[in-house]
Amino acid sequence: MDPDPVYYVDLTLNGLIFGAMYALMAIGLTLVYGLLRILHIAHAAVYAFGAFITVIVANATGSIALGIVVAIVASALLGPAIYRLLYEPLLKHPPYVAMIASMGLLIFMEDGFRILFGEQGLTFTRNPYPTEIHQLFGVTINTVQIAMIVLSVVCLTALALFTTRTRVGVAWRATVSNPTIATSFGVDAIKVRYLNFMIGSALAALAGALIALLNNFVEPSMGFVVSYKALAIIVLGGLGSMRGTLIASLALGLVESFGTILVGSYLDRDALAFLFLIIVLMVRPQGLTGARA
Amino acid sequence: MLHHFPLGFPVARAAVRIGAALAFSVAVATTATAQIKIGFQAPLTGPAATDGVSAKVAAELAVQDINAKGGVLGQKIELVIYDDQAKTDEAVFTANKLVGQDGVKFAVSGSYSASGRAAAPVFQKAGVPFISAYGVHPDITRSGNYVFRTVHLGQPQGRAGAKFVGDVLGHKQISVISMDNDYGQATLEGFKSAAGQFGIKILGEYSYPLRDRQFGSIVASVKRDNPQAIYVTGYFFTAGPLVTQLRAAGITVPIIGSQAFDAQKLIEIAGQAVEGVYIVGGLNRDRDSAQLKSYLAEFQKRAGYPGENVGATVYSAIVLMADAIKRAGSLDQAKVRDALANTKDFDHLAGKLVSFNALREINMPMNVNVVKGGKFVHYAWIDDLKLLAPPTE
Repeated sequence: MDPDPVYYVDLTLNGLIFGAMYALMAIGLTLVYGLLRILHIAHAAVYAFGAFITVIVANATGSIALGIVVAIVASALLGPAIYRLLYEPLLKHPPYVAMIASMGLLIFMEDGFRILFGEQGLTFTRNPYPTEIHQLFGVTINTVQIAMIVLSVVCLTALALFTTRTRVGVAWRATVSNPTIATSFGVDAIKVRYLNFMIGSALAALAGALIALLNNFVEPSMGFVVSYKALAIIVLGGLGSMRGTLIASLALGLVESFGTILVGSYLDRDALAFLFLIIVLMVRPQGLTGARA
Repeated sequence: MLHHFPLGFPVARAAVRIGAALAFSVAVATTATAQIKIGFQAPLTGPAATDGVSAKVAAELAVQDINAKGGVLGQKIELVIYDDQAKTDEAVFTANKLVGQDGVKFAVSGSYSASGRAAAPVFQKAGVPFISAYGVHPDITRSGNYVFRTVHLGQPQGRAGAKFVGDVLGHKQISVISMDNDYGQATLEGFKSAAGQFGIKILGEYSYPLRDRQFGSIVASVKRDNPQAIYVTGYFFTAGPLVTQLRAAGITVPIIGSQAFDAQKLIEIAGQAVEGVYIVGGLNRDRDSAQLKSYLAEFQKRAGYPGENVGATVYSAIVLMADAIKRAGSLDQAKVRDALANTKDFDHLAGKLVSFNALREINMPMNVNVVKGGKFVHYAWIDDLKLLAPPTE
């Protein structure tokens, strides 16, 4: 390989962008797992929901920004609704029951999108951003990619500050790590659950909206690949750990970006995620950051 | 009134019964003797549903047109449609259902390679003449002498791509991006096998999974290759984001796509970015053919979006099956098979289907489109049938 530094900066940047999107998706998943021990597979349908709402509202009003805001708000309502209507009644059963229900909901919603919005998927009628290009360290980058980096840094920093610096945030974290003790200290565990689904779903919707903008295309089955990759990520991150999930997301993004080029002719990008998962778990069964088993 | 009733009632009832029985027998008679059933598989749900729905609309349109012209051998054609979800197990299951339960004598697949490949042996074993309309895996026709195909294989498509890039456009330094399914890989092999012949040097070769929509690292690598042109295999739903992302990285060289780019949705997704992209094997919508014009108009009306290659090929496969039954002069499956094998200069919506070779693959010129003003416009014909020759075994 020739030592072209710009090329490797480009690959690294692309990897971090992939990773940032995975992080927005996976944070919600890992929070739900930490709190309820449920693998919330239907989270990927919330992501697709966010993408569809963005396109529909943007096309109806002519404002992409409004589309994104409506998608985030709608998803922040959809998430808690899924908890209330699907998971809460199933909490008394073993966690796999809720997981199967979640899988069912993902399939149901995917086909729902297909029936409602057509099997061909939707596109923005006007979306100049993916082809608006800028130069950064000699690398060409488009407006959507910049938005992906900036918005994920802003959201994840805000989330980190919220969970460490505010009372509600600390109570939330306490509930995730030990619900019984947190409740005995007067934390309303039920409110924490709703908050959890609200924030996780809003982040997933943002990821969906940004991917929709980048591809100028949303499809009913767009959540499918993300659903299992996000699962791989939260396992890598040590289930329930936000910091671990963030690191695992970025690491997977980088592995995919470089792997596609280096071993792409033998292993495709989706297979890489799982090879990476297997290797990491063989060496560090507790996940990348070593959260408690 | 009441005392009349015991007498009148049975009479009236009997009359009604006879009437109903008569009506029923008439209905049965018309359905039993006047329908030729053609089994049809397409992915109506799941990720391939876009093409599946196009296939179904086109197939129904073909049947309507055939029946409007009086049907075949004095009988109407009827489709028996199953959703195979583009999955092999569903394809085998529904093929068995078509043969065993529905008793179809003829079948057409409006589905992808994987399902056509899985279903073909079932039809072969049952002696059911079977056309895979647009499934491109080479093994489909190798299932046996009852299996035909009405689309160019990946290999000839790739060879035509090489001729177009190296000879017609005259570009020699090429980067190649292919999807890692049967179709993408076969087309890539064809391209590579003919590249030398047209003086093409491949600078970089990349592949992506079918579900991928983010191509950042491939785009970065193509940029580093700095090619004169890029050859891409993909479907419109991968091609739309891929072409957009290539153009968004400031790559301005010509992009040459494979047949499955040929859907209006590509233009909708990629908009301005897809202007000037060439498609080797796309449907020539500008051809002077009354049948093609009426097809495109009707398809648009029924589907709500413009007709493309998949639909045109499925339509042609159904019409060809009906034509073969007509030429055979009977519903005898062996005779219909022979008639299919002896097809000469059939009017396929995509051009003239010259003949089938020994492996029941088409000899047919290939069209190249270019995207211009948001439309697919005819650009060139690749009519070197020797270069396009499909495998014979």
